[in-house]
Amino acid sequence: MDNTVLRANSINKYFYQPEPFHVIKDISMEINKGEFVSLIGKSGSGKTTFLYVLSTLDTDYQGSLEINHKTLTGKQIDELAQFRNEHIGFVFQFHYLLPEFSSIKNVMIPAQKLKRYSVGEIEERAYQKLKMLDVHEQALKPAGKLSGGQQQRVAIARALINDPTVIMADEPTGNLDSRNTGEVIEVFKHISKDLNQTIIAVTHDKDFAKNTDRIIEMSDGVILKK
Amino acid sequence: MKLKINTEIALTHITSRMKQSIVAALGVTFGISMYIFVNSILSGTNDYFEKTTLSNIPHVRIYNDLNSDSVSVSQEYFGDQVVSAVSSQKPLSTTNNIRNPWYILNLVKRDPEVTAATAQVTSNVFYNNGSVQINGSAFGVNILEEDKMFDLKSMMQAGRIEDLLKINNGILIGSGIASKLNIKLNDNLYVASAQGVTKLMKVVGIFQTSISNVDNTKSYASISNVQQLLMEDGSYITDIKFNLKDKDLAPEYVNKYIHLTGYSAEAWSSANQTVGAGMVIRNFIAQAMLITILVVAGFGIYNILNMTIHEKMKDIAILKANGFAGNDITNIFITEATLIGLSGGVAGVILGYVISYLAAQIPIKLAGLNTLPIDFTPSNYILGFLFGTVTTLLAGYLPAKKAATVDPVQIIRG
Repeated sequence: MDNTVLRANSINKYFYQPEPFHVIKDISMEINKGEFVSLIGKSGSGKTTFLYVLSTLDTDYQGSLEINHKTLTGKQIDELAQFRNEHIGFVFQFHYLLPEFSSIKNVMIPAQKLKRYSVGEIEERAYQKLKMLDVHEQALKPAGKLSGGQQQRVAIARALINDPTVIMADEPTGNLDSRNTGEVIEVFKHISKDLNQTIIAVTHDKDFAKNTDRIIEMSDGVILKK
Repeated sequence: MKLKINTEIALTHITSRMKQSIVAALGVTFGISMYIFVNSILSGTNDYFEKTTLSNIPHVRIYNDLNSDSVSVSQEYFGDQVVSAVSSQKPLSTTNNIRNPWYILNLVKRDPEVTAATAQVTSNVFYNNGSVQINGSAFGVNILEEDKMFDLKSMMQAGRIEDLLKINNGILIGSGIASKLNIKLNDNLYVASAQGVTKLMKVVGIFQTSISNVDNTKSYASISNVQQLLMEDGSYITDIKFNLKDKDLAPEYVNKYIHLTGYSAEAWSSANQTVGAGMVIRNFIAQAMLITILVVAGFGIYNILNMTIHEKMKDIAILKANGFAGNDITNIFITEATLIGLSGGVAGVILGYVISYLAAQIPIKLAGLNTLPIDFTPSNYILGFLFGTVTTLLAGYLPAKKAATVDPVQIIRG
């Protein structure tokens, strides 16, 4: 069976402000299920932009995108939102939790949106994810009161709650010290090896990249090496 | 309690920013309570004026108008072909009584819509007591029907209206007449008419309408006594007046009886156009003010929601990234506006009642009023609540719609 989970076909993207600029130049690539991929490159190489195209958040591109054998190019915004809810988990550089909500609520929200399980079950699953990331003791604390490392773990737990096909991470360790970085890397490895979920992470961090299955380096909108 | 996730998020937003939420809700509260208070005092005042007006004017009055625009016979026949050269034409001597009044009165009384009806005959009279003489009008009516129309009993300062039926030469006089002539209950006074008839009458009651013009001139006597003062027979009636269950039907009845009897008829509303105009103008001013209040409250909510959304840009982006559609986001913020509107609305209704209640205790001594006339009908409260919440929803809709269009990539990438 075809093991490809994500397929991008000749993706092109332009920025029009402040002046026309060709950011992504005809990139095609495939990523397999369970792969832990890092996307590296200098600032302005287009790697983050490319990640957002792959994540379906950015729909302003040419080419075609397929995740889980489903073509996503040209779909309605609401349909894409639903798809992300079910198939894509996000981890951002600045953790981006909802500060007024407790840690566990932050993890539960995408699942309560998806409604695959009852609220009770969701709470149980959210607690399991927090436990896996070793932040279960902070479950009831407001997310805004956690330390940076703890917040990033809660964010990872949230990304995992719906058992997504792909986890997209934008500089997931960019804001963390080396100890926390190491732990996040371990968690990601565990997710890809043991849970067989795909991870695509944009990073500056050479150490982080070394730990991944595959490094894709971008420069000036093209892939240098796969 | 199982809430939808959107509602749950909205609730958390509201409770985590309690102060701002309360300020927004207070705007609605203030708007609605003012709406209720102003409307209550306005409709109370209108009701009061209407009641005062209707305290001496029947809903419909049928009378024989003096018709002096008589055309000469030649002109009637030849039309514009001739020129009439009669100058200083005098009107024909006619009487202004209604012919066959009892038949018309019976007709009126048989109508199920009519609540009270009486024939009436009026005479200009002089009231004499000792050397003091004042002029006024004596009204001969069926006093029991008159009471049904104008609630005379509530205006009685002394005596009973029923005594007018028992005592042959009885008379009810206005309080102004009584004090000017220094007359008390059961005193006698002379009533003289322009026709030269003088009758000694016994005061069986004194009434006060609080309209000084009426109290200083008006008296009630039996129909036959007034006919005697006018030196007319028992069929001499000048007016037939009646009240209806629904006073707004008066214009229809006017048309009906003009047609039926050939006499003139007048509805209370056309007899007192200034009162009606006053009501319309007061209503207009009040509505303009109330709309302003509600718009201001609406802007308050608009502002606060706009601010909330601005502060929550990151949250909106994160929710969208995690699979919330634009509709969900709109939903969340509309829910917030609704909750703020509803809680502000409920508080507004309560506050409106409290303000109205307190204002209704303020003592004023004007034109028969003891306190401010305030109306407590529920419709003011329902309308206030509806207007308030609808304004909130409109004010919440625009920012909520805007929130739905936030581009998550732009926010997350900074």
